Amino acid sequence: MDKIFLDAREMEHPEPLQSSLFHLKSMSDEAYLYMLNIRKPVPLLEIAKEKGFFSLVVQDSNEIWHILISKNSEIRLEELLDV
Amino acid sequence: MFNQGGLSLEQAPPISVVLRFFVTASIFGILLGIFLIVDGLGLSSSLTGNKSVLITHILALGVMASFMLGSLFQMLPVIAGVVIAMPTQKATVVHLLFVVGLFIQLYAFADSSIPLLYFLASAYLGIGLLYALYLMLKELIQIKDHSSSSKGMIFSLVSFLLTIILGIYLLLSLGGYLDGLLFLRVKEIHYSFALFGWISLLIISVSFQVIEMFYVTPKYPIWMSTYLTMGIFTLLFFKSMAIFMAFEFQFITVILTVLFMLYAGTTIHRLYRRKRPTSDATVWFWRLGMGLFITSMLITLLDVFTEINLEVKMFSYLAFIGFVLSIIFAMTYKIVPFLTWFHLSNQGYIEAPMMHDIVHPKTVKKHFYIHGTMLISFGFSLFFDLIFFDLLSAVLLLLSFGWLLYNLIFAIKKYHYTQKYTERFEW
Repeated sequence: MDKIFLDAREMEHPEPLQSSLFHLKSMSDEAYLYMLNIRKPVPLLEIAKEKGFFSLVVQDSNEIWHILISKNSEIRLEELLDV
Repeated sequence: MFNQGGLSLEQAPPISVVLRFFVTASIFGILLGIFLIVDGLGLSSSLTGNKSVLITHILALGVMASFMLGSLFQMLPVIAGVVIAMPTQKATVVHLLFVVGLFIQLYAFADSSIPLLYFLASAYLGIGLLYALYLMLKELIQIKDHSSSSKGMIFSLVSFLLTIILGIYLLLSLGGYLDGLLFLRVKEIHYSFALFGWISLLIISVSFQVIEMFYVTPKYPIWMSTYLTMGIFTLLFFKSMAIFMAFEFQFITVILTVLFMLYAGTTIHRLYRRKRPTSDATVWFWRLGMGLFITSMLITLLDVFTEINLEVKMFSYLAFIGFVLSIIFAMTYKIVPFLTWFHLSNQGYIEAPMMHDIVHPKTVKKHFYIHGTMLISFGFSLFFDLIFFDLLSAVLLLLSFGWLLYNLIFAIKKYHYTQKYTERFEW
C-alpha cells in the first residue's frame, strides 16, 4: 500500500487543494492520500466524491483534520488512520 | 474558494460571471484616469462641485461596486451553500442595468439640466442593484449556522441596501421629482452607510475568513470576529438617527473610528504573524490598505477634537480610497488566478496553468509599485498646487487600472487557450 503523505497545515490557500488534486489525478489503485490540515477541506472532499474517490475525515483532539482518500473501495481507510 | 460551504463544481458560478464585473471595474478605473487627464485636473482641484460627485461615483460604483458584485457572485453561493440558479443570466441582467444606469447617472451629474436623466439613472441603477441584493440577501439570511463572515456580509449588504434607497431619494430630488427637504441629511447618511457600512463592513467580513486562510495567520480575537460588524452596524444606525433628528453624533464617530483602527491594527498584527512569511505582494496590498485605513480614521478622529485644514481632510479621503483599492487589488490577484486554475483543473485539463502562470507574482509587485507611487503622487497633489502632480497622479491611476485590465485579459486568454489547445483528462 503506497501512502502519499501531504502535510498541509502550514500551506497557504489554495496550495493544499492544488497539491492534493495533483496527487489524486495520478493515483494508482494501490495508493491512498493521507493529508493533515487545519481546516476541513470541503472543496477537495466534494471533488473527490464527484470523481468517485472514497474518503475518510477525522478531526483529532488537537483540532487537526486527518483526510484519507483512495481510488480503490477495497482499501480500508479507517485501518490506516493514525490518530 | 472559501471553506465553510466549500466550492463544488455545481455551486461555482461560471468564471465569466465574476470576470465580467472585474473587467468592468478596470474599465471604469481607466475612464476615471482619462477623465482626470483630459480635464487637466488632479484630486486637489476636482473635489469641488459636481466633479467631486462624478469622481466619487465612478470610484464607488464603477470600480468598487463592480468588484464587489463580481466577488459576491463568486463567494455568496459558496458561503451560503445554496446555488443561485442560472447565475449567468442573472449576472447579465444585473450587469446591464448597472452599467447603463451608471452611465446615465454620470451623464446626469455632468449635465444636470436634464431631469429625466436622474429618473432613468435611479430606475436602472436602483432596479439592477436591488435585484442583485435580493439575490444575495435571500441566500444569506437562510444560513442556519452563521460564520462571522456571513453575518458581517448581511450587515454590509443591508448597509448597501440603505445606501441605494437613500441614493434613489437623492437622485429623484436632484431631478425635481421629490421636494428634497431632507436632501443634506439624507446625503450624509447615504455617504455614511456607503463608506463605513457597505464598503468597510464588507472588507472586514471577508478578511475574517481570507486572512487566516490565504496567509495562514492566527485567528482574529473571538470578540472581534463575533461582535465587530454587528457593533459597527448598530452604531451607524444610531448615527443615522442622530443625523436625521439633528442630534449631536460626534461621540459615535469617535467610537467608530477607534473600532476601525483596532480592527486594522489587529489585521496588520495578524499578517506579521504568518506561519510561512514569503514575499507576496498581495500581503503588501493588505498591509498598505490597513495602514491607510488607520491614517484615514485617525484624521477623522482628530477632526472631532480639533480644527483640521482642508488639505488634511482631503488626505483622509484619499487614504480611505487608497485603503479600499489596495484591498480590492489584493483580493483580485488571489481570486482570478485561483478561479482560472480551479475551473480548468476541474474541467479535466491536465495542463491547466498553475496560479503563478496566470498572474505571476512579479506582475503583482509591479502593480503594487504603480499603486503606491500613484497614492504618493495624489498626496503631493493635495499639498502642492502643481499641475505636474495632478497629471502624474491621473496617468498613474490610468496605468494602475490598465495594468489590472491587462492581467485580467491575459488570464481570460490563458483560460480559453487551455480549453482550445490542451488535452482533457477524464478521471
